[in-house]
Amino acid sequence: MRTEGGTFGLGGTRGASGPAGGSGATGLGPKVGETVERFELEKAWLVDPVSGREGPGEIVVIDGILESVTWLEGAEAEGVTDKGVVVAPGFFDIHAHFREPGFEDAETVATGSAAAAHGGYTTVALMPNTQPALDEPGTLARVRSAVAASGSPVEILAYGAVSAGRGGEQLSAMGELADAGVIGYSDDGAPVKTPKLLRSALLYAGMLGLPIVEHPEDLELTAGAEAHEGYVASVMGLAGWPTAGEVSAVSRDLAVLADALGDQPGARLHLTHLSTAPALDLVRRARAAGLPVTCDVTPHHLAFTDEWIAGARRWAWDALAADGTSRDPWIDGALTAGPYNTSLRVNPPLATAADAAACLAALVDGTASAVATDHAPHTIVDKEVEFGKASNGISGIETALGVLLALVDAGKLPLARAIAALTTGPAAVMAAGGHAAGSAPARPRGLTEGAAADLVVFDRADGWKVTSDSLLSKGKNSPLIGRELPGRVLLTIAAGRLAYEDPSAGDE
Amino acid sequence: MTTVAPAASGAGTDAVAWHHRHLIDVDVLTWPEIELIMRTTEQMKGILARPIRKVPALNGRRVTTLFYEASTRTRVSFESAARNLSADVVSVAPATSSVTKGESLVDTIRTLEALGAEILVMRHSVSGAPYLAAEIFSGHVLNGGDGWHAHPTQALLDLYTMRENVHGGDLRGKKVAIVGDILHSRVARSNIWSLTAAGADLWLCGPATLLRGFDRWAAQWSSGKVPGHGKFNVTSDIDAALRDADVVMGLRIQRERMQGGLLPSLREYAAMYQLNAERISLAKPEAIVMHPGPMNEGVEIAPDIAISGRSVILDQVANGVAVRMALLYLLAGSHDEAHTTEPGK
Repeated sequence: MRTEGGTFGLGGTRGASGPAGGSGATGLGPKVGETVERFELEKAWLVDPVSGREGPGEIVVIDGILESVTWLEGAEAEGVTDKGVVVAPGFFDIHAHFREPGFEDAETVATGSAAAAHGGYTTVALMPNTQPALDEPGTLARVRSAVAASGSPVEILAYGAVSAGRGGEQLSAMGELADAGVIGYSDDGAPVKTPKLLRSALLYAGMLGLPIVEHPEDLELTAGAEAHEGYVASVMGLAGWPTAGEVSAVSRDLAVLADALGDQPGARLHLTHLSTAPALDLVRRARAAGLPVTCDVTPHHLAFTDEWIAGARRWAWDALAADGTSRDPWIDGALTAGPYNTSLRVNPPLATAADAAACLAALVDGTASAVATDHAPHTIVDKEVEFGKASNGISGIETALGVLLALVDAGKLPLARAIAALTTGPAAVMAAGGHAAGSAPARPRGLTEGAAADLVVFDRADGWKVTSDSLLSKGKNSPLIGRELPGRVLLTIAAGRLAYEDPSAGDE
Repeated sequence: MTTVAPAASGAGTDAVAWHHRHLIDVDVLTWPEIELIMRTTEQMKGILARPIRKVPALNGRRVTTLFYEASTRTRVSFESAARNLSADVVSVAPATSSVTKGESLVDTIRTLEALGAEILVMRHSVSGAPYLAAEIFSGHVLNGGDGWHAHPTQALLDLYTMRENVHGGDLRGKKVAIVGDILHSRVARSNIWSLTAAGADLWLCGPATLLRGFDRWAAQWSSGKVPGHGKFNVTSDIDAALRDADVVMGLRIQRERMQGGLLPSLREYAAMYQLNAERISLAKPEAIVMHPGPMNEGVEIAPDIAISGRSVILDQVANGVAVRMALLYLLAGSHDEAHTTEPGK
């Protein structure tokens, strides 16, 4: 069927025709996991960060292949803007927790994949802080069988742990993990424990052509911390996490990287979820000096600030005063929600409006290559507790696009840059690793004719309300619950197969 | 939130209705509401002055104290207050309850509610815990102190005691110095809200490690942008804090602060910050000395000062019962759409 931006629907699937064959709202479309037999979209706004092109266009998918991409010009393009239906390559999240094995109450590969597809993601790299930790190939095999059983076409990649059992004492089975296909190593949830172990890990992973993905945190400085050290934590009586808790760790990591490079030119470091202005400045300077370091920022550190813990709910950019400092939510009367909401407890903690602005600046100037969700679902048991006892983490893979579109709507971030940060940016971080194991698929995927369709279609003219029900993740620990977000995802196709279809699609 | 500037003593604040279902911090109180609490406390003091210190105001109402932190004086003060109002009192202490078996706060509160708790007086070591309790408890939550965050009944009894003792009962422009471990003090935090609302000239004083972050807070509130709040000052200079003060309050210094690397020794703290006769002489001749207790005499306060004619520390203890009676009474009488008290429920 042919569809214009705004109205929408999927055709039949391969091998399945008639009402019995589908589960979509139309009753005719394919089920999740099935090849998209035919899908045409007219007069949409196409964004292709691989070619660097965006504009009005049309796409046709036949038998899972992106058969044609047509860029419209002149009269044909009239009325098509970037404010309506947008088509982009499927997103790539380089930092997520699907909790399997070990914490299936919080998330599984199946529910995480469904949530990812709802968020527009077609590729997700999982952190290894499972139980047991993913520190040898057997655990990776368990994840892989969960992926196969899920039926989801979302591609699941995995990091191996840096240290055995994430214990910080000795290296994991790094070589065997590389052979089995991990895309890098991380002890995420915690930093690599010692600079000595980090140095070994950088050398060894460099030899294997893979990056170390580091969670930078100085555990001495952050012991017992509940919130970013600053005005809000002072007023609320929360133990402060000083900015130096991140900065000193980044300094350590960069110093060790510079040192390791002398012995292993292939050493590569990626710093994840940077959240403070000085830490991003360090990376900016290190990159300018030619150090092989990349970093990412999260949607929550771009959009939320510590004042949310007090009960404010305005976006970070609305909390920034003209002089670059944070506005005062008590003075402004900006406290609209209850205080100490544990869905805001996250590591690293939400910082100031100035820090959020620094995350944005880093994204705009390329210091940060990617937006990574750090999707961290938790059960109600781990979150419906006292703030200082709550587990760290935000369920964020479904809200990342909406948060970035809020930045776009506010004029803070060009749409193309937002899309690049979700596609080519993360792909570049991982591609630079070299993939000695040869298992990683070709990336970045663009809107490339003749390739398997791997794309997301979302409507900027329509929003959606974040609720416990609308989140497909088991983790309902989102501070955006109850809030309307821009950009309803209508369709996600991963590797030519249906990953997500908006339940209301084709309602007309 | 609007905080109305304090009215001239006693005037023009008659028609204030109490509408708070819970009291977790003084930050939500308007000045007329604080005045209402002060007037109600006055009435409760009248009751306490009678030969039989008991009225039937809360007859049959169930007050439960849930103290996750050891505290004898505060718990006893709340329980005396509740009994003076004829309430039935149940005390839950974690050491003897299933809390030690890993029961969550939420489950504990649901259980207490099922057992008939109507007013929950709660003390907890984690900042913000009573907000979680208030979210799930259908009755009233009265905060008996949470983490470093708030201790509203202490701040209100402090305010009452100050007004009793300063000339004219009006704190506007009166210099109040709070000295000690400000960083970890819920008493200091709640007092910041109530004393700036009262228009006092508030000074917070302690060594830099125990004041961390408060300079930023003071700067923010001194920017002139804060409606209804007086500014407050933060200093490590004890002489500057005490000079010409009307009220001097010491805070407890805990031994753990040395293990945490925040203080070299209690001896050094005492040498630099102890409220002793020489330092107190910097304050006004009529200045009063306060302490929320329990005191480390010889550390933050010299024993002779604690029992001197300036000391109103025992007044604070007595007024604490009256303030807590006032708050139990006001909370028990409050109604809102979310909760209707049905007698005999």
